[in-house]
Amino acid sequence: MWMAHSSSPYGARRIALACFALLLVALFLFPAQIQGLLLYLGGPVGYVVRVPLEAIASIDAGIADRWEQYVALQGVREENQQLRKEIEWLRGQHSQLRESAAATERLTALLHFKEQALPTMIAAQVIGRDATNRYRAIILNKGESDGIKPDMGVVTPAGVVGRVVKTTGVSSVVLLVTDPNNAIAGLIQRTRDEGIVEGTQQGLARLKYIPLLSTLRDGDRVVTSGLVGDFPRGLVIGTITRIDKEEGALFQSAELMPEVDISRVEEVLVIQTSYGQSLKAGTGSNLLEKPAP
Amino acid sequence: MKVLSYVILVLLLVPLQTTLLPHLSVWGIKPDVGLVAAALVGLLAGELEGLLVGLAIGWILGLFSAGELWLSLLMNGGVGLLAGFLGRHVSQVTAISLGLGLLLVSLASGLFAAMTFKSLDTSQLWWMVESVVFPQACFDGVVGAALYWLLSLRFDLSRLRTE
Repeated sequence: MWMAHSSSPYGARRIALACFALLLVALFLFPAQIQGLLLYLGGPVGYVVRVPLEAIASIDAGIADRWEQYVALQGVREENQQLRKEIEWLRGQHSQLRESAAATERLTALLHFKEQALPTMIAAQVIGRDATNRYRAIILNKGESDGIKPDMGVVTPAGVVGRVVKTTGVSSVVLLVTDPNNAIAGLIQRTRDEGIVEGTQQGLARLKYIPLLSTLRDGDRVVTSGLVGDFPRGLVIGTITRIDKEEGALFQSAELMPEVDISRVEEVLVIQTSYGQSLKAGTGSNLLEKPAP
Repeated sequence: MKVLSYVILVLLLVPLQTTLLPHLSVWGIKPDVGLVAAALVGLLAGELEGLLVGLAIGWILGLFSAGELWLSLLMNGGVGLLAGFLGRHVSQVTAISLGLGLLLVSLASGLFAAMTFKSLDTSQLWWMVESVVFPQACFDGVVGAALYWLLSLRFDLSRLRTE
């Protein structure tokens, strides 16, 4: 490489430097405001980006679908898909029923419980993955215009997927339960001990801050506690696969295998209103609804 | 015409980066084509265009990532600006030198991004560097070099740069 004696346009260079310096100063002085403004301006941009994004996502899904149909026997594949859907639905229901049974047992003694409304949900399709490698996130084809807002919980009938962290007009970004930056309030279903579920760098999840006296064991299920955030109580997060108890530590922690196969998620449900909140009739789908064949 | 081509480039980068590239990822790592595009535009069209296109790429891709928007904005804009400066001062850019440059820039920006993670301790930071930042930097360097080589087969890039 040699140094060039090019006739550089100093005006353009000065403008570029001034713009960058101005941006740096603005971001340094008003980080939240600038970020908020950029996100606000990004809302309408989402409508423009949606066109190529959805077109390519549908072509991609179509090619993947055709390819699988040619490779696998069509009838067997369809039957398999239907059975998988049914298993997922039954898993979700099984866990919810166990949770309900435990709750009923406790509440029967009190005899004063209110009738609870089911959460309202918005069905959405996964159209992409995070633009960077640093986060485990998925992109959905629904956004602000469909009523999705940051912090809403995202699930499948099998369990928790993650929570919405960013939205544009017609798309939203969901930080997965396996991302280390995510934190969801969890509860061990059998022992009723609470903790915080965070993702790990290996793509699993970890329940932290479990009391030392807890009698948890491998195979215990962890569900949402419903105390913090937009998740209702009792949605499955994962199953305990390893318990870590360090000497001298104030708490113990446990590694979880997430219930949902995050790498294969294609459709999800976004929780718009949690248990007990006002329901908009006919706008969402229900977790307890059996999947269509 | 040039503006339109930049708009198309930015709009197509989103589906490319979020939908198509995950299929081509190696060990879960995909190249950052936004960074590569910003560097190539800066190199071929100068600082101002490099900066503006880099900022646009950073902003739009940032909307489709769980990460901080300002980080994506500054990194892509900065790379476009830096590539513009280098393009003005280095007379002969080869695919290999560009690839090496991109590797270093991607490494620096990846390290900076990893440092902004609040919850990482030293071992987690090291894990992230060796399993995400460094492989991605290598990937970015290879993709950038390949793209530059392909462009140089079709266009006279040295003339394009001095225009």
